[in-house]
Amino acid sequence: MAQFLQQMVNGLSIGSVYALMAVGYSLVYSIMNFSNFAHGGVIMFGAYFGFFAMTQLKLPFPAAFAVAFVGTAVLAVVIERIAYKPLRERNAPFLYFIISAMGASIFLENIIIATIGPTFRTYPDVFGRTSISLGSVAIGRLDLIMFVISAVCLAGLVLFIEKTKIGRAIQASAYNMKAAALMGVNTDRVVMIVFALGGMLAGIAGVFFGMKYTVYPQIGNITTKSFVAAVFGGLGSLPGAVLGSVLLGIIETLVAGYLSSQFRDLIAFVILIGVLVFRPTGIMGKTTEDKA
Amino acid sequence: MSSYLEGIIMLSGINLIAVLGLSLLTGFAGLFSFGHAGFMAIGAYSAAICTTIFKLPFFVGIAAAAAAAAGASWLIGRATLRLKGDYFCIATLGFGEAIRLILDNFQGLGGARGWPGIPPHTTLVNILILDVIGVVLLANLVRSRHGRNMIAVREEELAAQVAGINTFKYKMLALVVSAAYAGVAGALLGHYMTFIQPKMFSMVKSTELTIIVIFGGLGSISGSVLGAVVLTFLPELLRAVDKWRLVVYGLAVIGIMIGRPRGLMGGFELTPKSVRAHFARLREAKAARADQAAEEKGGL
Amino acid sequence: MRVRNIVAAILVALVLISCGGAQKADVIKVGWFGALTGDQAVWGNNEFNTVKMLFEEINAAGGVTVAGKVYTLEAVGYDNKGDAQEAVNVVRRLTSQDKVIAILGPNASGNAIPIAPILESAKVPDIATVATNPKVTVLDGKVKPYNFRVCFIDPYQGAVAAGYAYEVLGSRKAAVLYDVSDDYSQGLRQFFVENFKKLGGEIVADESFKSGDVDFRPQLSKIKSQNPDIIFMPYFFKEVALSANQARELGMTQVMMGGDGWPSEQLISMGGAAVEGCYFVNHLDYDDPDVADYKARYLKKYGIETELNGYLVHDAVLMLVDALKRADKPDGESVAKALESTNIKGITGKIAISPETHNPEGKDAAIIKIIGGKYKFQQKYAAK
Repeated sequence: MAQFLQQMVNGLSIGSVYALMAVGYSLVYSIMNFSNFAHGGVIMFGAYFGFFAMTQLKLPFPAAFAVAFVGTAVLAVVIERIAYKPLRERNAPFLYFIISAMGASIFLENIIIATIGPTFRTYPDVFGRTSISLGSVAIGRLDLIMFVISAVCLAGLVLFIEKTKIGRAIQASAYNMKAAALMGVNTDRVVMIVFALGGMLAGIAGVFFGMKYTVYPQIGNITTKSFVAAVFGGLGSLPGAVLGSVLLGIIETLVAGYLSSQFRDLIAFVILIGVLVFRPTGIMGKTTEDKA
Repeated sequence: MSSYLEGIIMLSGINLIAVLGLSLLTGFAGLFSFGHAGFMAIGAYSAAICTTIFKLPFFVGIAAAAAAAAGASWLIGRATLRLKGDYFCIATLGFGEAIRLILDNFQGLGGARGWPGIPPHTTLVNILILDVIGVVLLANLVRSRHGRNMIAVREEELAAQVAGINTFKYKMLALVVSAAYAGVAGALLGHYMTFIQPKMFSMVKSTELTIIVIFGGLGSISGSVLGAVVLTFLPELLRAVDKWRLVVYGLAVIGIMIGRPRGLMGGFELTPKSVRAHFARLREAKAARADQAAEEKGGL
Repeated sequence: MRVRNIVAAILVALVLISCGGAQKADVIKVGWFGALTGDQAVWGNNEFNTVKMLFEEINAAGGVTVAGKVYTLEAVGYDNKGDAQEAVNVVRRLTSQDKVIAILGPNASGNAIPIAPILESAKVPDIATVATNPKVTVLDGKVKPYNFRVCFIDPYQGAVAAGYAYEVLGSRKAAVLYDVSDDYSQGLRQFFVENFKKLGGEIVADESFKSGDVDFRPQLSKIKSQNPDIIFMPYFFKEVALSANQARELGMTQVMMGGDGWPSEQLISMGGAAVEGCYFVNHLDYDDPDVADYKARYLKKYGIETELNGYLVHDAVLMLVDALKRADKPDGESVAKALESTNIKGITGKIAISPETHNPEGKDAAIIKIIGGKYKFQQKYAAK
């Protein structure tokens, strides 16, 4: 029993890491309808921004945190302007966006290797590595802080989308970009704002990720898991991204803990396919038919 | 010919076969796969079992590779082909990783440590023969009624369905054929390297293949041929720039997408007929310009 | 049109760069390859930096005398991203275009195995650095004529770790966590498990993760519930630091043990208190003055600490220079022949190459314990 409770805590913690990455990715998907594979690269930059802000600029943690998410917001917008905007203007099929995103992702990873090198870097200790024990269950202090800050950020995002005028424009564009444009929504600006928001979430994810798992050029690769989580939950749906991430985290943990850690990803994949066979657009995805 | 040059030509030929298959799936049927390296792995291991364990001739191994990969793709297609866009992508990605994980765990075939000592059956000659067969078969397929139906599915799936095309059947056909090509490429790669390891068939390999198809141009066989050759040579030429190599590669991929989105040869085929037609158009254009110039002169 | 011209010009220039550079008569070209990019880049850059530094030092000291004539050494290094297919390309290039007489590296066994047929047809020897899979030099009972290595092999390392854990530390119940998608990790795990069981110990948990994973708590929680005496972790320091930290977070107090993937200055900075009191099997003893000297030179030149690979490629260079001095003429075949009778003292210990296996036989393994954030040499330990 103690092990089961501990495994549930582990699963929730891993799932919340996935969620932080999956939400930014799903947000971009909801507007652009393509998988932004450069998201992992932006997360990685967020981790480096935060790291250098703390170690080189000697900023306190909150300031470094701000540097990281402002930096990644700018980076995400720049990538959009360079790699996606020309495609958007030409109404290119989603394949081209994906390939362009992959190009950006290869570029981001390797520019770090070529300039500042491939070494692993450890964040200064801010919250301590200790954990809180509840009976025989241990909960990491960093996990708790991360959980709270992520929840606050996600709540802020939801409020922003639901309550502000720009938020409503985002919703309208997500529903139908062309119709929104006809209704007087500046869709180009909407796209920019969405990328900035996605970038900010990536920055937040990057800093936490760096603190928890150290900083190195390949940390963006872990976003593959959050893509799977977002598909699981239903692409383009923010609650779906969160739900899919938490479920994936728990499934992975329970499979590794009770069935086989060797075949963990295989079993998780079979479950994913099983869900998609019955719900082809994930648990909470938009069930739109082809717009003929 | 230096062994280096010969090696790169052989690799382009092997990549070409995998790319041809993927070109059918992505370029003609409009499906995007992240798991093609998984089919290559199935082919590589099946062929190696035939030639190394059972000491069968190489062509039997190649046939087994094609059959095994096609069979696996049929199974996976049954489960996932009804999924759309990114959902299908993620499903294929999961498939590729799952194949790799199975091979990693399977100690009987070497596990993650790989399988050395595969006979070096792959030669420049048998690669070129298979390349030619691959191109001819694919060209015939895409020009047949089946090929046109596939393009219809890519362009307007709903409309194709209304027109009475069994879209599932054509997607499945494209998937099975492309997996068989990938299987053959895997068999050749294994017998070229004389060593196979699950690591060789990672998601990176799948994305590389997709990038080649897009680079060459969707829906163009000659584009895929060109793409496979150019993009196998490019990283070798870029060796001079050392660790900046992949930075340049990443930028080049973005550059092609925004600069020449249809790829090198998107929708265009290099055949004797098309070349003549191209020159005819050029002559016409030249003549038209000359006429216009003459007119303008006259106008002055 | 202009863009196209620029692209064409760049391509032409690249071809010229890559083909250019006529070979001078008194220079011996030596190849190196490994990962300068990708997830193995830390080790690859460290190796190549070391090779360049040593060649500069050797050349500054007057070069190498081969069969009565003095040569300087030139390093030709290429990146293979840690990829087996690129390894084949690179070795073909080094042997047929750059005409090197010997190749140093790679670090990964999976890259060292497929290059054997090319080395044989080009008659160029290769000295692998930390490729510990037995099949790198011997396949189906036959030694590969042009493959050598400077490190001990997995069966030996696994036996040392199991022996030390059972005999010296008195562990009876061991748990293993390993990287199922990594060849090195799988190999070391297998030989540890085999030897530990043979000694009479029990493997109470045998869990794995996949390269790229960063969270090991599910596996560790399972291991915790089995209450082992020792946890064997045969993988690289980044994952070691992460998993050690996570184990301590879960309240696990067991001693952890690992292999030659552990040693790095970064293990201490990343793992901190979590790896305190842990043991690993190493190729060298850090208190050795020769080791300290190389370490200091590297730090002075590059401003960063060397990794384990640096020490091994250092000795690979020593092996090569020694073979060159004894070779009849400066070509691959003669060097390969000379390498077979190598018997030198390197910074990682005595290196006596066996002609039957091309491995440095009888190389002692050092057991290192982490005490107060420092690597403390415990003892030389030879597996029985």
